[in-house]
Amino acid sequence: MSKSLRQRLMFLIVANAACLAAIYGLLREGSSFSLVLRRAGSEVAPVMLAGLGLTSVIVCGAIDLSIGSILAVSGTLFACLAFRGVAPLWCWLACFGLCGGLSLVNGYAVRWLKLPAIIITLGGLAIYRGLALILASLAASGLGESLAVQDEAYHAPGKRYAGWILFLGIVSAVIWERCGKRPRLWRAIGCSREVCRLNGVDPGRILQSAFFVQGIYLGLASLVYVTRLQVIEPARLGRHFELDVIGAIVLGGTNIFGGEGSVWGTILGASLLYEIGELLVYAGVNPYYQDVIRGGLILLVIGIDCALHRSHKMLEELA
Amino acid sequence: MRHVVLPLILIAELVLFSLADEQSFATWSEWSEHFRYYLTDLLSQSAPLLFLALGMTMVMTTAGIDLSIGSSVTLVAAIMANFSAGPSFWWFAVPTGLLAAIGLGTANGALVALCDIPPIIATLGTMILFRGLCYVVLGDQELAPFWDVPGYAWCGEWPGAVILAVVGILLGGTYLKRSRWYRELTVVGGNRVAARYAGIAVNSRLIQTYAMMGFVTFFAALCFTARNGSVNAGMLSGLELEVIVAVVLGGTKVEGGFSSIFGSMWGVFIIGVMNEGLRNLAWQSQQLPFELSHLRFLLIGLLLIFGVWLNSTPSTK
Repeated sequence: MSKSLRQRLMFLIVANAACLAAIYGLLREGSSFSLVLRRAGSEVAPVMLAGLGLTSVIVCGAIDLSIGSILAVSGTLFACLAFRGVAPLWCWLACFGLCGGLSLVNGYAVRWLKLPAIIITLGGLAIYRGLALILASLAASGLGESLAVQDEAYHAPGKRYAGWILFLGIVSAVIWERCGKRPRLWRAIGCSREVCRLNGVDPGRILQSAFFVQGIYLGLASLVYVTRLQVIEPARLGRHFELDVIGAIVLGGTNIFGGEGSVWGTILGASLLYEIGELLVYAGVNPYYQDVIRGGLILLVIGIDCALHRSHKMLEELA
Repeated sequence: MRHVVLPLILIAELVLFSLADEQSFATWSEWSEHFRYYLTDLLSQSAPLLFLALGMTMVMTTAGIDLSIGSSVTLVAAIMANFSAGPSFWWFAVPTGLLAAIGLGTANGALVALCDIPPIIATLGTMILFRGLCYVVLGDQELAPFWDVPGYAWCGEWPGAVILAVVGILLGGTYLKRSRWYRELTVVGGNRVAARYAGIAVNSRLIQTYAMMGFVTFFAALCFTARNGSVNAGMLSGLELEVIVAVVLGGTKVEGGFSSIFGSMWGVFIIGVMNEGLRNLAWQSQQLPFELSHLRFLLIGLLLIFGVWLNSTPSTK
């Protein structure tokens, strides 16, 4: 772990603590702090889980902008199956599997078409959204723009087990990053694909594995995200999800150009973003302004980060 | 290859959609009447896209991209909509809109050039930021002062947007094609370090490019409001993707350093004909199991990937 990354983690820990303290200070009479903390687990789970997955892709020097739309497709599939009366377990599996599958498709497209990941997934952002809308009108025509999932049995992963799923995801990601060989290879191809190729490592395969891992975490994220909702709207589900996730990752000190990063940063970054959102709510900020403030804040942090990285990038360019 | 593929796509679209259309073309006068109507309609629908594609070609020449245009067009229109209609609209609302548009563009440029954020991330952020500002400005209401402004929507018997688009694109396109400024942008996109050694002020060129994008955003907002007459905070999301697809289909490289303004205009017409055709089809056939407008997302995404792939094959290099 480099020095700048360690500094970032320290900053995040302090900032998280400060935010929590501010929320504690703003709490009204009668609402308990432990309840806020307990609820936070399930609320922050989708962004954090998807972030754990996307970190691996960004560390490789690629990116996936289509995760919001993938969430929309799998959510729509889940709702359609639930609407048809399929047993909950199968609905969950289908939702999870579709996320993993589409993420793999992204990986294959990036690998075989040899195009920048950012373009492929920008196309995917539109394609998957269209798929979700078409799927919704084909499978459940006449219901209009939204699909309701009323039966409580379908909501178990999002409402009851979200905290545990998140815990499992975090533990597995942290342990794997510490002990596994793959995460090191991801960092390696993020630093230089050419050097990896000369060393006998196939960058395409490594990148593909990053997309595969992302698929697994994204599947978990979508499971938690989708099953928490009472009504699923294919046109709106998961919109701007990708910016939340990318914001959390960059906030966590992962270099957006690849080659450096840590899941710890993503975990702390996601929780900081969530706490800032909650802080705005508790401070009673007008909801119309909340988006502006959060968007501005994410941009500010990313801007400072990129400006700090700039000095040695310029040197590289002029060398 | 591109010289063959683009006209082929356009012809295929036209044939496909006119087959599905139930219009009869028995006589010449019928045909010319229909043609004139169709062309005016196509031009006034595509006018905002034409302007935005011109700007996006500039931005993509410098190896950048601007995802925030849909939100900025809405924001500019929203700011102008807050002024009262009437002749004074020209003296207060329009200059304010112009200033706001250039300001938004410059903000993007500053993020890209001074903070060195990758353009796609920076403008993804400003896309959401500007959209949030739209909601701050408008709330949930829909404002419609534009058709009450004299000389705004109609200029004589032609739609104002069509005249603005044709004149603006012809003048702007010809000027840019010959200007030194635009050639310098191509150099910046091709190789930044080389551009710096060649004495080009890279950062100020980048900021100027994004400010220029803001400038054309203003015209796009004019064209759009002249046609639609109203504005709400949630509209035009997804516009950026259409523009990018048009520009990429036209042969401009995402990696920068190569662009074609003329090609971008071809791309806009491909997108415009597709939108128009799908709208007509949706109008005529209600028995389809899904809405045709949903198919558009799919086609746009596929066209984007196809266009970039076309640009990267060796035969076009």
